[in-house]
Amino acid sequence: MDLSFVLDGLWTALQPINLLWLIIGAILGTIVGILPGLGPATGVAVLIPLTFGMEPVSALILMAAIYYGALFGGSRSSILINTPGDGSSIAATFDGYPMTKNGQAGQAMSIAAMASLIGGVMAIFGFIFLAIPLANFALNFGPAEYLFLFFFALSAVVALSLGNMVKGFITMFLGLGISTIGIDLQSGVHRHTFDIPHFTEGISFVVIIIGIYAIGEVLYNMFANKQPKDVDSSKIGHKWFTKDQWKRSLGPILRSGPIGFFLGVLPGSGGTISSLLAYSAEKQISKNKKQFGKGAVEGLVAPESANSSAAVGSLIPMLTMAIPGSGTTAVMLGALVMIGITPGPLLFENSPDLVWTLINSMFIGNIILVIINIAMVGVLVKILKTPPRVLYPIVLVLSFIGAYTLGYSTIDFYILIIAGVIGLFMRLLDYPVVPLILALIVGGEMEQNLRRALVIYDQPVDMLFASPITIVLALLTLLSLSYPLLIKLVKRTSRNKDHTADV
Amino acid sequence: MNAVRLSLPIFFIVVSLVLAILTLQLPHAQLGNPYGPMYFPLVVSVGLFLFSVIDLIKTRHYFGKENEDLKALLKKETLFTLGIILALCLLYTIIFERLGFFLSTVIFLAAIMFFLNGKKKWLLNIIVTLVVAGSSWYVFSYLLEISLP
Repeated sequence: MDLSFVLDGLWTALQPINLLWLIIGAILGTIVGILPGLGPATGVAVLIPLTFGMEPVSALILMAAIYYGALFGGSRSSILINTPGDGSSIAATFDGYPMTKNGQAGQAMSIAAMASLIGGVMAIFGFIFLAIPLANFALNFGPAEYLFLFFFALSAVVALSLGNMVKGFITMFLGLGISTIGIDLQSGVHRHTFDIPHFTEGISFVVIIIGIYAIGEVLYNMFANKQPKDVDSSKIGHKWFTKDQWKRSLGPILRSGPIGFFLGVLPGSGGTISSLLAYSAEKQISKNKKQFGKGAVEGLVAPESANSSAAVGSLIPMLTMAIPGSGTTAVMLGALVMIGITPGPLLFENSPDLVWTLINSMFIGNIILVIINIAMVGVLVKILKTPPRVLYPIVLVLSFIGAYTLGYSTIDFYILIIAGVIGLFMRLLDYPVVPLILALIVGGEMEQNLRRALVIYDQPVDMLFASPITIVLALLTLLSLSYPLLIKLVKRTSRNKDHTADV
Repeated sequence: MNAVRLSLPIFFIVVSLVLAILTLQLPHAQLGNPYGPMYFPLVVSVGLFLFSVIDLIKTRHYFGKENEDLKALLKKETLFTLGIILALCLLYTIIFERLGFFLSTVIFLAAIMFFLNGKKKWLLNIIVTLVVAGSSWYVFSYLLEISLP
């Protein structure tokens, strides 16, 4: 590792303009995370236009800051009003909200912020040691390897729509179908463009993402009875956690960080699963199991640390192989491509400065977020009180502006509205969104690699045995697809055992 | 409620059939394999069709089961609210390039704000409309130099 890159990155990250964007991103992210119904994906999607016209490095810093800022913010609303901003902050409600009920909201928020900081920093070290070797490794990938990598990523995402695999496959195929719209790069044939020039380059997946997340979210919140409860600012209690709380938290924080990181790196698992897993793992090994769910600080810091490190981990497949593992990283990928940064293994070779600036800015950003989250507790509580009926019209307008700036055509508005309505129904009927988005993003590349591979290898079976990498990826694909079945089998076997023991 | 549950699988089946028909009507490629552009969309449409049919069959397990969100969706006032919001979104789409960003955004925001918050909060509605439309126009047109209509 060349130390000069690290120092150059630190120098760039500390430039006043980049620091300013970092702080703005951290604050905007925190606000977006706190606001009810707006998760990090919606936040980044709605704020994409802000990055246009910016230096690529500043844009990357801003987006990453919004991302982890939103995760910090998401846990605020979990702790204060028992309403998670998004899936990854669900676990923070289990013990965070009981702490608020015990009059320890301030302490819960400060220790959660510390847990996020430490989890995030641990993951940044993981990023340094894993991302660069992974990018170098991916440089050797040919069409067959990429094809099997896409198979694995898609199957992992589908398999993780637990209990909904059929629906996962449906949304995946829908995404792949939409990705075929536009000119076919190998033959020049226009596919499904309906003679609309705007469709020649295909449908922008960012527009679909904004539609599903932002418009769908607004429509859903119009009738779902999830109005935030009121928070009494006077009952926040002490801002700072106690020494005892810190002692009890350190172990869980350090144990949960790596769990979050490794699950974050896998496509599809992301923050939700890693924070839930960290919570249950901590509960399993804890001596005070009975305290969990009643305001145990261990039960709050474990998912917070995992969640934060999963966010950093999920940047790895996105930046090294252009495979986003979550909704938010998918949005970020789209935005990066728009501003001229092409994620993939070459990013690390051609623009190491960009990567190292991002890593350094993540360090600084995490510290800034702790300061914001602890010092501005009162303001954050007030933001929580923003009436949704004022907020949602603003989100709608920002979504439309975002869609317009992507293609300068109001045809995208129609797509945005259609995607919003479909997104609403998908949410109501439990269709997972991430397989659709991932398929939409990788669909074009997947088809191109498939066709290239078919030219190189005479038989499709030869593709499978092209290299050890393809074999391993094919095995991982099989494993991930059979994972839900295996889980079912294990559950059934243990149930039978229990039954036999009872008899 | 069951009709809503069936809506998406049926919609996806229709989409898969449309995709297959459109793909079969594609012109042959002049370069390389003439059927090259058709393979991938065809496989996708078959996959979408098969899984949507399985989903449609599985949907009957949910018949008669309560779903709070679906119940709330099917209330008359919800459908009215969603209908008006979507209609306003369509109106915004139509007037956006004709009236320009600022004017169309003011009309759109004001309409939605008054619809959601009522006339009583007229001051809040007007302030939010003007501040959001004005500030976004300033930020995007001047600070970010994005050309808006």
